[in-house]
Amino acid sequence: MNARTARQWMVPHEWMIKPMAQTEWISGKGLLVWLAEVFSALGTGLYLVSIFFALGSEFEVTAFWTGILGWIGVAVFKLPLHFLYLGKPWRFWRAFPPFSNAWRTSWFSRGIVFTIIFLGFAAVQLVLQGLIAYDVASGTGIDVANYIFMFLAGVCCVITSIYCGFAMSYCKSVPFWNTGLLPFVFLLMAVADGLALIMGVGLVTGEDVIPSAESATRILLIINALLIIVYLVNANYQSVTAELSVKELIRGRVAWVFWLGIVILGIVVPLVISIVSYFTGAEASAGLLVFAIICHTIGAFSLKYGVLKVGIYRPILPKGRAY
Amino acid sequence: MRWGMVINLAKCTRCHGCVAACRIEHFLPLRLTWPRLVALEVDDGFSVDVSTYPVRCNQCKEAPCVQVCPTEASYKREDGIVAVDHNKCFGCRYCVIACPYQNRTYLSRKRSVNYFPGHATTGFEKKGKDLYPHVPGTTEKCNFCMERIDAGLAKGLKPGIDREATPACVNTCQARALTFGDLDDPYSNVSKLIREKNGFVLHEEYGTEPSVYYIDYRLGGALSNKAPVDAQTGHHMQHLSTVYAPSKPKLAKKYED
Repeated sequence: MNARTARQWMVPHEWMIKPMAQTEWISGKGLLVWLAEVFSALGTGLYLVSIFFALGSEFEVTAFWTGILGWIGVAVFKLPLHFLYLGKPWRFWRAFPPFSNAWRTSWFSRGIVFTIIFLGFAAVQLVLQGLIAYDVASGTGIDVANYIFMFLAGVCCVITSIYCGFAMSYCKSVPFWNTGLLPFVFLLMAVADGLALIMGVGLVTGEDVIPSAESATRILLIINALLIIVYLVNANYQSVTAELSVKELIRGRVAWVFWLGIVILGIVVPLVISIVSYFTGAEASAGLLVFAIICHTIGAFSLKYGVLKVGIYRPILPKGRAY
Repeated sequence: MRWGMVINLAKCTRCHGCVAACRIEHFLPLRLTWPRLVALEVDDGFSVDVSTYPVRCNQCKEAPCVQVCPTEASYKREDGIVAVDHNKCFGCRYCVIACPYQNRTYLSRKRSVNYFPGHATTGFEKKGKDLYPHVPGTTEKCNFCMERIDAGLAKGLKPGIDREATPACVNTCQARALTFGDLDDPYSNVSKLIREKNGFVLHEEYGTEPSVYYIDYRLGGALSNKAPVDAQTGHHMQHLSTVYAPSKPKLAKKYED
């Protein structure tokens, strides 16, 4: 053990006096949480959008494959990534009732429980949707069952999408997250991600989902941009520590993630492509659409990264200067 | 009954005795510390005040860590102590982030190393593995030495009065800066101190109702609580200030070289 190592151990004390960023959910193994949350947003967004498109009879195949992709995003990426992050992964069952009643107070527990329930309902719904889409079976019974499971899975999907925001907004220790706006920022961004990705699915299936998805994306991106501005302005006036988080996000080391990832690639580029096609009356080319989808997806990764990265702890001690 | 602690900041000499006592009592792994001593300097332009805040788990009455724990591994005992069941914790670290006092530590495998890395385990560590095993992959924090309290109560002893039933850090504090007792008893030593010396808690606005109170002249306290100037700027503190070097990069660099 050398002197340098010894001094490094003293560093953690600084976070009690100075505003220091949380690292548990974004550094080292914490990157898994970030990735899990991104796939959660993409997966749930895709599924919610697939429900919307499944309600009509024109886009059954696209809705089916979009739903499948959403389900995969949650089941194959989100859950395993969360699982890998845990210190004792094989104890994951302890979060579920009847082994624990923590769901009454813990958003984390609620999230895990509803994610599993969502996957169950969505699996049944997607089987039914597949039968309808490919005309394997038809009839009022299947339609009704499809709608019932669609509703149940949809409700669970919204909770799966929103719980991460609630879990973070519960933390009084991190004022930047400690606001009721965060869950809605995440939910709307997830839906916008889903709308962007369904256009890609539409390109493959050949169904004409792009005009509807594009017009919805246009409105949602504008709402999202406004919501993010409101969120940042609100945080700026909320507390000194939250203000520091905002500064870090727009002017600090994470600024490139915010301006390039969230603003330019995540919002401006897809919005410009969408608005140009609206005013010219011509549909964007497939290449341009794929570009917009990629940009939007980068925006989804950037949003979660930025928000997690600038989560700064409020110091526990009164104003002072650390040694 | 609700166990609580009062920390007199004017008396603390930052000797790190409480930290050492805790380490020995709980056989803490090398890179894990339950109580911490935070050095704080307040400079108003004319004079400089130096304080040391001994911080540890506040054993909150409305503990956010208990509420967020997805496995109920963090739980609240009837006597107000917030404990962690290491057989239930699955290491999600939500409690580490949710704790407004930042007093929880995740025991990673990186942290759980030998006292002398690359060498054989010491006898002390071997004993610790039998008597007080720490589980890597779970979260740890101060528990007010609940084992001592339970064993002491079983013998009819009074925590805060009888040493055998009192937390190790309180016993070892040579300046008697730490006092332990029952917060629900208005005549207990801690209740009297809080009343008479205007005890305060950290971040009252969170509504967590901590069980650790502080006495200081600056925040809600009386001026008579102020430590003598000599004690604030003693040479031992000057020396220790160099240990907390990170905010003085040039000094840190000098020592590094």
